[in-house]
Amino acid sequence: MATAASDPTRHFFQPIIVCLTVASVALTLFVIWISLHDLSLMRAGREKFVGLDNYLRFFGDPRAMAALWRTVLFTTLATVVEIALGLAVVLFLDRDFAMKRLVRTLLLVPIIMTPVVVGLTWRFLFDPATGMANYLLSLAGLSQVDWLGSPQLALYSVLIADIWQWTPFVILLVMAALESAPTDPLNAARVDGAREWQVAWYVLLPMLRRALAIVALIRAIDSIKAFDLFYIMTRGGPALSTETLNYYGYIAAFTNFDISYALAIAIILTIFTNVALLTMYSVLFPKSGER
Amino acid sequence: MANLSIRSVSKSYGAVSVLDDVSVEVEEGSFVVLLGPSGCGKSTLLHAIAGLNPIDSGTIVIGDRNVTNLPARERDVAMVFQSYALYPTMSVAENIAFPLKMRGLDRKTSDEKVVAVAKLLQIEPLLGRKPRELSGGQRQRVAIGRALVRDPRLFLFDEPLSNLDAALRTELRAEIKRLHQSIRRTMVYVTHDQTEALTLADKIVVLKAGRIEQIGTPLSLYDDPDNAFVAGFIGTPRMNFLRATVADGGKTLHAGEASVDISHLATRLEAGRNVMLGIRPEHLDEKQGVTLSLAVDVTERLGSTSYVHGMLPSGETVVAERREDQPRFGETITLRFLPARTRIFDAQGMRIR
Repeated sequence: MATAASDPTRHFFQPIIVCLTVASVALTLFVIWISLHDLSLMRAGREKFVGLDNYLRFFGDPRAMAALWRTVLFTTLATVVEIALGLAVVLFLDRDFAMKRLVRTLLLVPIIMTPVVVGLTWRFLFDPATGMANYLLSLAGLSQVDWLGSPQLALYSVLIADIWQWTPFVILLVMAALESAPTDPLNAARVDGAREWQVAWYVLLPMLRRALAIVALIRAIDSIKAFDLFYIMTRGGPALSTETLNYYGYIAAFTNFDISYALAIAIILTIFTNVALLTMYSVLFPKSGER
Repeated sequence: MANLSIRSVSKSYGAVSVLDDVSVEVEEGSFVVLLGPSGCGKSTLLHAIAGLNPIDSGTIVIGDRNVTNLPARERDVAMVFQSYALYPTMSVAENIAFPLKMRGLDRKTSDEKVVAVAKLLQIEPLLGRKPRELSGGQRQRVAIGRALVRDPRLFLFDEPLSNLDAALRTELRAEIKRLHQSIRRTMVYVTHDQTEALTLADKIVVLKAGRIEQIGTPLSLYDDPDNAFVAGFIGTPRMNFLRATVADGGKTLHAGEASVDISHLATRLEAGRNVMLGIRPEHLDEKQGVTLSLAVDVTERLGSTSYVHGMLPSGETVVAERREDQPRFGETITLRFLPARTRIFDAQGMRIR
C-alpha cells in the first residue's frame, strides 16, 4: 500500500478509524479491567482486584454452564431450522405465480414487527387457557400443552417464535441470491440428465452456498445475542429453563448488581462467539477467493 | 432416415405467437442451422427440442421416439449454451463428467472419457481449473466437451459463439465444423449470424416471427430465395431492392432508367404491375448488361474488393461491389448487371419465378 500515504481520501477515513479504534480498545480494556475486580453495586466503593476469580467462578457456576448450553442449543436449532425451512420455502416459491409480489411483501411483516409485539403475540397464542395454540390442538383432538409454563417446553416455544420471525429473513436473502443466479446451468443440468432434486443438490445449492453461509452467520450471531423474545415471553423462566448466557449476564448485572461477574460473562460470551463463528466461517468458506 | 422430426409445433406466450406451425425434418448425421433475426423463435424452438420449454401443440420425434412429453433428461440430447452454462462450483473435469455421473457411470470409465474428450478439444491442462479461471473460448470448449462426452443422439447449439470475439469465433466455428465431420452426429445449431449458418450448415431453416420462411441448402437460399426476406437476410451486403413496373406485355421491367428483360420468367406478368427487382451487390459489377448510373456516396475498401454506397437517379439507395476501381464521393459511375442474375418479388415480397 505505497499509495495510501498520498491518497487524499485518507483525511476522511483515518480520523474515523482512529476514533473507532480508540473507543473500542479503550472500552474493551476497561471492561476487562472491571472483570478482574469484584465491583458490585451492593458494595459500592469496596471493590478490589481479584484477578481471574470471576472467570474461575464462571466455570464452576452450574447456572452459567446451563445457560451456556442453552445458548448453544438455541443458536444451533434456530439457525439450522431457519435455514432449512427458509431454503425449502424458497425452492418451493421458485416459480412464477400470480401473488408473488404479495407473498414477498407479507414475508416482510414478521421482520418489521418489533420484538415486543412478536413476543406478546406469541405469549397470547401460547396462553394455556385462552391461546390459539391450545385451541388448535383441541380441534385436532390432542391434549393441552403448557407452552411457556413447562420447563421442558418453554425454550422450544421461544424457538418457535424466533423461527416465525426470522425464517422470512432467510427466505428474502436466499430468494434474492436465487434470482441473481444464472438459470442456464440449471437447464444444462436438466439436459445432462439430472432429476430435479439432483439439479437442486449438485448445481443450485452449490451456487447458493455463499449466500446461505452469510445468512447462517447473521442468524447465528443474532441468535447468540437473542434477548428481547426471552425477556418478553419467559424472563428466563420457568425455573431458569429459558435462561441463555446473554440473559444470565443481564440478570447478574441488573438484578444481582454483580457488575464484574456480569462483564466476565459478557467477555466469555464474546470469546466463545468469536471462536464459534470463526470456525463456522472457515468451514463455510474454505479457500480464499472461492465464489 | 430422419433423426429429428419437428411436426406442426406451435407455442405462444399469451397472445404472442412465438412458434407458428413449424415443421422441420433433420436427417441423421446432418448439420441444420436455425437462422433468423433475434426474436424469431429459433431459441424457443431449440429449447423445445431439448425439453426445456413445453410446446402448446405438435410433436417432436427424436430417432424413433416421440419425446414431446418427455422431460429434458430423458431425451438424450446434449446442449451448448450461449452463456456456456458451466457449473460454476465444479472444476472443468467435474463439469465434463457431470452427464456421466448423472447416468451412474463408474468413476474409472468416466475419468477415461473425460480425458479423451479433453484431449480432443485441447483442454487437458485446464481439467483442474474452475470455470471462472478460464477465458470465454476455453469455457465454450469445456461446454462442448460436456456435450461430447456422453455421445448423445442429438447435439443442440444455442448461439454458442455469440459471446466470443471475432477471431475466436472464426477459430471455434472451424473447429465445430471439423468436429461434425469427424463424429458425423446430428447437430442443430441456432444463430442469427448468416456467416456461421452458411459455413456450417448442410441445411438452413430461416425463421421469422415464429414461422419458417424457407428451408434449403446454403447455396439454394442464396441463389434461389423464396421471398424478399430470405433474399435480404442471406448475403452481405444485403440484396438491393428496386421498385419496378412491368411493361411491354410482360417481357420487360422498368426500374428507373433501366429496362430489364424478364422474358426468362416462367410467370407472365401483366403490364403495369408493380414489383421489386432484387440485385445483389456482387452482381452489379459486370462487364456488360443493363446499366444504372450511381452517384457515389461512400466507398468501403476491403482490400480485395470495395463496396460502393450511392444513390440512383430514382432516389433509391444501392450498395454495389466494385473490384477494379474505388470511386470517390461525388463521382457518378455506371453499374452493369445481367437480367438473369436478378430476382423478382411481388409487392408482398413473394418470389416471382
